[in-house]
Amino acid sequence: MSQNQMGGLAGKILRVNLTSHSYRVETTNEQYFRQYIGARGVGAKMLLDELKACIDPLSPENKLIFLTGPTEGTIAPGANKITVTFKSPLTGTYSFSLCGGSLGPELKFAGYDGIIIEGKAEKPCYLWIDDDKIEIRSAENIWGKLTHKAEDTLRAELKDPAVKIAVIGPAGENLNRYACIQHDYHREFGRGGCGAVMGSKNLKAIAVRGKNTVYAHDQNALTQITLQVYEILAKHPKANLRKAQGTCEMVNGINDLGFLAVRNFNDGNSPLAGKVSGTEMKDNYVFGDVSCFGCPVACGKNCIIESPKYGKIKIEGPEFETMALVATNTCVHDWNYILKAVDIIDQYGMDTITCGGTVALAMECYEKGILTDKDTNNIKLNFGNGEALCQLVEMIGKREGIGDILAEGLKYTAEKWGVPDLAMHSKGSSFAAYDPRGAKGMGLTYAVSTKGAHHMFAPTFGVELAQNNRFEERGKGTLVKENQSFMAIVDSMSLCSSMRFALSLSMQLDIIRSITGIALSETEAMEIGEKIVTLEKLFNVREGFSRKDDTLPPRMLKESPDNGPCRGQSINLDVMLDEYYDVMGWDREGRPTPSSLDKMGLGPYKDIVV
Amino acid sequence: MKTLVVDQSKCAGCRICELWCSLQHEQVANPALSRIKIVRSHANYFCLPVTCTQCVNPPCVSSCPNQALSQDEQTGGILADLEKCIGCRKCLKACPNAAISFHTQTRKAITCDLCSGRPICVTRCPMGALQYIDSAYAHRPSLENIARHNK
Repeated sequence: MSQNQMGGLAGKILRVNLTSHSYRVETTNEQYFRQYIGARGVGAKMLLDELKACIDPLSPENKLIFLTGPTEGTIAPGANKITVTFKSPLTGTYSFSLCGGSLGPELKFAGYDGIIIEGKAEKPCYLWIDDDKIEIRSAENIWGKLTHKAEDTLRAELKDPAVKIAVIGPAGENLNRYACIQHDYHREFGRGGCGAVMGSKNLKAIAVRGKNTVYAHDQNALTQITLQVYEILAKHPKANLRKAQGTCEMVNGINDLGFLAVRNFNDGNSPLAGKVSGTEMKDNYVFGDVSCFGCPVACGKNCIIESPKYGKIKIEGPEFETMALVATNTCVHDWNYILKAVDIIDQYGMDTITCGGTVALAMECYEKGILTDKDTNNIKLNFGNGEALCQLVEMIGKREGIGDILAEGLKYTAEKWGVPDLAMHSKGSSFAAYDPRGAKGMGLTYAVSTKGAHHMFAPTFGVELAQNNRFEERGKGTLVKENQSFMAIVDSMSLCSSMRFALSLSMQLDIIRSITGIALSETEAMEIGEKIVTLEKLFNVREGFSRKDDTLPPRMLKESPDNGPCRGQSINLDVMLDEYYDVMGWDREGRPTPSSLDKMGLGPYKDIVV
Repeated sequence: MKTLVVDQSKCAGCRICELWCSLQHEQVANPALSRIKIVRSHANYFCLPVTCTQCVNPPCVSSCPNQALSQDEQTGGILADLEKCIGCRKCLKACPNAAISFHTQTRKAITCDLCSGRPICVTRCPMGALQYIDSAYAHRPSLENIARHNK
């Protein structure tokens, strides 16, 4: 394994053409990694350059661009997030998704910075990457299997329990528009429907095993920084809270502040939310901790329940977002049903957030009489009915009955039933756990996120709470602009975003420098972040998206929670959009101007905006 | 003499031990070159750190046809003479823990020498899953585990 000029890179990209059942090993374009750091950033550049405009996301023309960052495979803490970049079948926009666990590091150990999947296989297959031995193998004996069974079968077939696998479940196979790609049983490339893209290509799984070294430019410096980060994390209150309770430590706080997803975002607070809090989970259901590769926090929690109805259920999770969208948003607080529902969603391979948001929509429609018992096969789809939740998510996974409609996502479903205003989404992507009326910056984030509503595009609520201005619209354009760039850097480095609450930007840049040899100032890094977001935006502009699509549902703009701390709050989105577009240097239609593109070195893309 | 003791219920599978072990011994952080290995059982929701347990009259030492392995008298760690090692893997077959691995490039035995008495894996484990304690008490964590978990 030779050392590259730029440290941290493995040096090769695997390009697989499933149509011709062939592959090519390419040299990693180091320039892209220098310009855009890695992972998310390089993916944005490649998707824009390699895809034509306006393709069908479920056609062979779409691509799955899996990319690691330069930190993966090194000793850097929390350096384990691999991304996949693709055109989303759910939103029709640019999209990317992150996955933790150990897939990214293993891919680097195998010698690849990324994998590009093109075309469509004639028959179900899986990709086997064993260092430099590559095979496209038949997946006919695992097609149709639930994700866990598929992983188990592959590990047995490949005679190696240490093989790292990314796999789709039946939902990806039947083109559920928010199907995810599952890994290590309970880690996912969650959002955007990448599982459906993989299913549309007849690709069931990718299996990886590697044994090479990923070289850092300055290992001594990296070792020192790593030890410093361990120290910071060991003392950091948030890291310790996550170690103790997992991400559900957030439930009570967000609920008390009145902006938790409750009852399809009709309420922001539930008196029952305490039943699904992190402490409740830790005290009654957790039996072990789980870490992604190289991370000392171990925020993953293994839970177990002996359900009288469903038998023994073991899962890693639920995570906070899952708990909010699948439990509090559907008003189900009984752990028998919550763990069962999440297990079903993971086994069929669906995004828990979009699934929860879609089920909550269906529940509201049922309670309002828009759906009848005839539509639901006599399932009483009331809020709070845990058994109905479990039945429904399985029907969605199988595309059975009403599940066939719900598998298309909440925007499609609401429009089909004549109630488009009841779907809590932006561009077809479900809201995350935060009711944006309780932190207006999140409303702007959901509306302008380049992959449709997503909290991590610019998770502004932390700053908004700290600055005590969460109900103000003013200043949020600037806040999102700054926050989004910071997130683009974290996502492109492949650091878990849980590192970002403990590490300053300057420390993250130290990590990058020790690994790659590239010294970036904070200003330069933020400029790269802004450039990455602009590339993502350009993809969407080319697809025809503009201000008219940077929307929020009327419930957010015209209605308020009836009680709780966010009583009376609704969102003035226009004023935030105007400020955001202005500070981004875009026109008021939300499109980058030719001069702003020139200024940031994206002049070659001007034809998209003229 | 001290020995490595694992509390499997605390292992979160982060593999930080593998990264530091390889860095310590091979000057690069690469789990393939680690002495300690984390084996995950997905179906059973646990991770098992596989380590050398510093046997008395270690079978690995006696099985080597070239006398390439020896045991450090002070620490109990296993030392591999790489000039004598031929990579036949008899030591791995003999080891009751299957805790010997082989260098991916030299093909020779990689054994746990306990980092000369200050095992780095124990120092770095963020979960407290690894201990380095007096052999006289090494069985106690296991008994405590059985009593505590009984699953």
